Amino acid sequence: MSSSSPSGSGSDLTERRGIPAAKFIQDVETYLSQSGLDPNSALAFHQERLQQYKVVEMKLLAQQRDLQAKIPDIEKCLEVVATLESRKGTGEALLADFEVSEGIYSRACIEDTDSVCLWLGANVMLEYSCEEASALLKNNLENAKASLEVLVADLQFLRDQVTVTQVTIARVYNWDVHQRRVKQVTPTAIAAADS
Amino acid sequence: MQQQGSKSGSEMEVTWEDQQNINIFSRLNNRVHDLDDDIKSAKEKCENLEDAGNELILADEEMVRFQIGEVFAHVPRDDVETKIEEMKEATCKSLEKLEQEKESIVTQMAALKKVLYAKFKDSINLEED
Repeated sequence: MSSSSPSGSGSDLTERRGIPAAKFIQDVETYLSQSGLDPNSALAFHQERLQQYKVVEMKLLAQQRDLQAKIPDIEKCLEVVATLESRKGTGEALLADFEVSEGIYSRACIEDTDSVCLWLGANVMLEYSCEEASALLKNNLENAKASLEVLVADLQFLRDQVTVTQVTIARVYNWDVHQRRVKQVTPTAIAAADS
Repeated sequence: MQQQGSKSGSEMEVTWEDQQNINIFSRLNNRVHDLDDDIKSAKEKCENLEDAGNELILADEEMVRFQIGEVFAHVPRDDVETKIEEMKEATCKSLEKLEQEKESIVTQMAALKKVLYAKFKDSINLEED
């Protein structure tokens, strides 16, 4: 299905970009005896892990939102540059209404031109030829899309680990409840056998 | 999964395969939610383009202010008509693709539900809350 699906009992991925993988437990009893933890400590450990995963998830979701806002912006810029390029040969000026302030618009007359200025951030604006601008914007768009893909894969991996941890917590809890029930039944059975 | 043990008190064995099925189900569920949002915005865009096309037919200005990026450029009416047709087609096509993807995922989820409920019966809850 995805690159992180292993075939063995443990995950082949012990961590991904700093996110530790949640180890799948084959048998609760073996796990508890091997780790020397009592059920409550095991539950506490996994709950804490779950919280840590949630924190990372929040961070990644915020990054994803930023990228998802950035991509349409870059696409809009590309559209404008493409429009200017398509008018290059014609010699016509492009009339455009733009927002000066909220609710206030003004008309701009854009002459036939070979160059555009791109806002690079950090109060820096550079002049480029239309081709260079187009290439730069396309490059930025590719990078943003690639980062988004990696981010989405990270989020999927993270969600898998959250699911595994939640299932582990439920299983340890159920095992504990089951053990207590068995302990309750056994003394009663012995008492009944004695009497 | 339920926190309480099942009524019989028996312990359900969860194999790695079960865990993987649960993980896949979770991923598909998330994907369906994302798709629902995308489908909603694509439908809205389609409707807006439809309305824009209709307005255009009713208007008789020669120059139409067409939004490119953040500004409204003065574009001759015919160009705008063509542009809107193109955008409508592209949006409708992508809407179709999204809906197809959603359908296939819903089918996959139904199949997984069958498998998981068969094994875990009451101990697992795969419904939307």
